Parts: sequence; structure tokens; C-alpha cells
Amino acid sequence: MDELYLDNIDEYIHDQNQIVTYKWLSLSLGVHVNLAKQMLYHYLDRCRKDGSKTPLHATYLVSGKCVQNGSLCHKVSVVREDKLEDMKTRMDPTISIHVYSIQKAEIKDSSTLYSTDYDAVRDNLKHCNKYSAIHCAAAVPMSPTELELIQEIQQTSSPEKVSKSGLTGHASVAKANVKKSQGIMGMFANKNTAKNQGSNIEVKLEKKDDAPSVETLESKPAGMASAVNNFFGKPTKKQDKCIKKEAESSAQSSTVESKHPKDAELPSKSDDVKEKALKDSKAKREKKDVRSKSKRPELTDSEDEKTESSNKKKRRRIKKPRSDSSDDDEAIADSPAKPTTVTTGSPESQVKEESLPTLEVFPEGKKRKRRRVLKSKTSVDEEGCIVTEKVYESESYSENDEVVTSQPKRSVLPVPGKKEEGRKSAKRQASNKSSKQVSIMGFFQKK
Amino acid sequence: MTTLTRQDLNFGQVVADILCEFLEVAIHLILYVREVYPSGIFQKKKKYNVPVQMSCHPELNQYIQDTLHCVKPLIEKNEAEKVVIVIMDKERHPVERFVFEISQPPLLSISSETLLSHVEQLLRAVILKISVCDAVLDNNPPGCTFTVLVHTREAATRNMEKIQVIKDFPWMVADEQEVHMQGSRLIPLKTMTSDLVKMQLYVEERAQKTS
Repeated sequence: MDELYLDNIDEYIHDQNQIVTYKWLSLSLGVHVNLAKQMLYHYLDRCRKDGSKTPLHATYLVSGKCVQNGSLCHKVSVVREDKLEDMKTRMDPTISIHVYSIQKAEIKDSSTLYSTDYDAVRDNLKHCNKYSAIHCAAAVPMSPTELELIQEIQQTSSPEKVSKSGLTGHASVAKANVKKSQGIMGMFANKNTAKNQGSNIEVKLEKKDDAPSVETLESKPAGMASAVNNFFGKPTKKQDKCIKKEAESSAQSSTVESKHPKDAELPSKSDDVKEKALKDSKAKREKKDVRSKSKRPELTDSEDEKTESSNKKKRRRIKKPRSDSSDDDEAIADSPAKPTTVTTGSPESQVKEESLPTLEVFPEGKKRKRRRVLKSKTSVDEEGCIVTEKVYESESYSENDEVVTSQPKRSVLPVPGKKEEGRKSAKRQASNKSSKQVSIMGFFQKK
Repeated sequence: MTTLTRQDLNFGQVVADILCEFLEVAIHLILYVREVYPSGIFQKKKKYNVPVQMSCHPELNQYIQDTLHCVKPLIEKNEAEKVVIVIMDKERHPVERFVFEISQPPLLSISSETLLSHVEQLLRAVILKISVCDAVLDNNPPGCTFTVLVHTREAATRNMEKIQVIKDFPWMVADEQEVHMQGSRLIPLKTMTSDLVKMQLYVEERAQKTS
């Protein structure tokens, strides 16, 4: 191997104070990712042997099987060097370890790793998978005619603003894309292929013209993001959502399906950790549920593919309780005891969008729903310290109160059903007004 | 291609908005990276499509917002030359100064709507550089505090003293002690050049931090 790359890496790290991840190196030097990983390893090895002047810090990507919450799962995580041995002992067997990045500074949190790769991948959007180890023969860019077809379908389905029809619209597109998606999804030994197709299609529809390449882009940073998620045992979910937004959807209002708040101008957009609720009627929402399983069966393919599927593991979603309020406690039954962060705004807008589809599916159902929302409560405790707690609050709301949705308000009058229901709605309406959720803009006041 | 001049107030407001948003993120990030406050009060939020650490302490946030709210009119009129975040030790001697030098071109030509995404990309790069700046800086002593100084061109502050932009949030002329550091070395971090604004970020660090 030509030794010049060692000088290159040396220059990046020491002169430019750059974080050199394997992906960034592969895109910068135009080499295959596996070669980039080897380069990093050799460089690190040489520096350690030479006892170089400035200390270098490295992060590693470790993947293997481990027992989490009582069940066996495949875990992929990016760890700092000092935590590497600890992680290795926890995994049995350890399937792969490689150098993820080398840098001068000690990494405090995973966002720097993400930011490093973000621009490199963005600049190489159209061929970001050129050096990747993930390949799919069926992933070819769509022809212009196919794209037009999809856009037409979106335009016809969007005026109705109903998720059901949106689902239908997507389903018809799904037929067109089933073959392609199956090729990709076949690589993941997932139980429910229909779900994945749904999500895959949904993902495709939110893209630009060069859809599959962007999708690969999405899956790759998503995979990276999922690996980075476990950085300090503290998962954060926003990385993959960032990439999705960056894909600049050309679809107008498939916002019904959009899992992510599109308003990028809000400065205080926060991590969107969504709680997954296992509901029986998941089939109806299967598209959104795709990434909600926290544990997946064993996967047999390469490590990069596993990072993508484990990304799907880590993705969680707020599920608005489908039926009555007694299901509230079930809502977070499955979420593991990991610390989560969320703000008031993003789950609110997302749940609002999801509520309309729910009501559409059960047109004769209740018009008032209860949902669990994570709210931040700031209070002063007995020692005089300001404490901010994130608590789940059951909040009742009705369709009529959802002012901030992208859908036009439906002028549905409350059905005068049973007496109890009527009374309930009246009570809840009164209480709802007082417990209206604070808008996200109040958190970061902008003039 | 549209050519706008300095007198076009909309343009000044746009630049001021962008810069103040950026400075808010940058200040939070500096406080996080330099460990001025414990990392527990910080939360990941999204800005420019990447995760950034922002504090969720209400009073700290309010203080930073009020500060930038006062700085904004100066940037609008292109009177702010430098915005400096000074980190001081317990004796109120500065140990580090993060200097954002801002300059706006008098004449601007906007090419297309990709301008904003380009600016975002540049700002992302600055944010990334701040995140890794502790590779080139020494550790700070414990118990540090911070303050924000604004260097203005000419006598713009005279107006500021007359008009209180925010009630009960007065700005004062800074002490000589806070402005100048003894025995400092300069570490450049990042330079950003765009059609809208030019910004340079460097750190002045006191040679001996712990006395």
C-alpha cells in the first residue's frame, strides 16, 4: 500500500485539526471504505508505536451480539477507546471492530462525528455509495417517466389530505417500486417485509429526483447515526432525521406521512425521540411502525447492513393511543429505560398529523383523544435548585383544537353519541383549554 | 443577479437574524465544550441540520437571548466589529476569549436561493471547529464564568446607552481588565467568507491559566 496516505492523514489530523472518520477519509481520498478503515488502523498503530508528541484519540465501531433487556439482540455502537474493552466484554460474540475515527480532541458527544460526515456526504450526494460496502443491484435511479408518475399520484392524493387515500396513493406507487424495494429489503432479514416496503416507499417519495442514491445516502448516514446513537449509552435520534430533511422532499404534502417536522426555521428543533407503543391496530399504521421495533431478530449480513437495521431498531415513534384513555399507560410499555430527550413542539406537531389519519380510519369513533406527551417542567426544588423534568402527561385534545396542522381543519361537529361520551367531551374540552400545550416558540423566544 | 446596498434594511435584518441565531448556538456550544457549566444542563437540539448542544436552563437561556437581542441592532447597522465571549476565572481575570470578528460587505449580490444553504454549510463548519477546539486549548480552571463583550465601530454605543433595548438589561463599557489579557496567545479557529458576511473566529488564550 502506498504510504502517502499516512502523510495525508497526518496532515488532516494535526495541521487541520480535523476529525477523520473512515467515511470522510474514503470520500476525501476516493477509496473504498474498507481500505479507509485499514488506513486509519495503520496510522493509529504507527503513531502509537512511535510515541508521537500529541496524544491521539480514537473511536471504534463495535458490533456483536449482546443481551439487552433480557433478550438477545445485535448491537452496533461507536465507543471511545477507553470504553472499548468494556464494550467488547459485554458482547458475545464480537462480530466486528474497526476504527471509526481518529482525532486530536477528545470527543465529548456524538454530534461532532455526525457533523464531520454530514458535509462530506452532502457534497457527494449523487455517488456517496460509490465506495460503500453496501450494494444492491436493484437500486437504480428512477427514470424521468417514473418520477412524473409518482409526482402526479402525489398531487392527486394530496388535495384530499387524508392518510387513507395517501396510503392508497402510496400503495399504488408501492406496486411500481416493489421490485426495487424488495431487492434492498431482502438484505435485511426482517420479519415484516410489508412494513419495510411501506417505509421504503415512503422514504422514496420524500426524495429528490435521484431517489435511490439519496435513499442509500439516507440509509448510510442513518446507519452511521444509529451506530453513533450508542455512543455513551445515550441514544439520540435526530441524526437520521436530519438527513431526511436534507433530502429536500419534492413531495408537497405527503406531510401526512411525514414523521419529521419540516419547519427547519425553528431554531430550537430538538431531538425527536419518540416512544413506541405497541398497539394491536399497528397494521394500519405499519408504515410508521417500521422502525419502531427496538429488538430485531438476528441479522446475517454485513456489518454495514446491520447498522441500518439497528437504526430501525432505535427509531421510536410517539404512538397516539388508538382507543380510549386507558391505553395511555400502555403507551410507553415497550420503551426501554434509556434517557430520552424531546421538546414540546416536535411530538406535538407530529401527533397532530397522526391524529387526523386515526380519525379518518374510524370515522364513527370518538372525536376526543388522549395522548401522552413529553413535557418539560421547570421547578425549584427544596434546595433552591432549578430542576427541569421531563414528564409524560396525559393530555386530552380534540380535532377542533388542533390549530397548527398542515391539513385544512375538518369541519366535523361532535357527534351527539351516547350521553357519557357527550359529557366526557364537554369536560375534556374545558380541561383542554387550560392544559393547552405551550408552543415551541415560547421556549426560544425570537423577536 | 440582484445587487443590494447596505442601505437596504431588509438585507441588514437578514444578516442580523442569521448571525444572532448563529451566535446563540455558538455561545451555548462554547459553554458546553469549555465546561463552563456542567454538561447535564445541555440537551441536543438541531440547527443547520446537525445536532448541537444547547442549554435548557431557563435563566441562562434568557440571559443569552437578551444579550443577543441587544447586539442585533448593532449588527443590522453594521456597527458591531467583534463579538467576544470571555471566559473568566474566579478572580474575574479572563482566561480565554473567543472572538468573532464580523464584517459585512457594502455591496451585495445575491445569486440564487442556494445562498442560504451555502451560508448554512459555512456556519456548520464553524460549529464543528468550535466542537473540536479543546484539542488546541488548555483546560480551564474550575469555577469559570463568562461574559459577552461587543466591540463596536466608532461611537455606536452612545446610542445604546441612551436607549435601553431591553428593560433592566443595561450594557456598560467594559473594564480594561476584561478587555485585555496579559500574556496571551492567539489561536485561529475558522474563517468564513460568504456574500452576506465575513466572519473570523479565533481564540485568545492566556498562557498560564491556573495561578
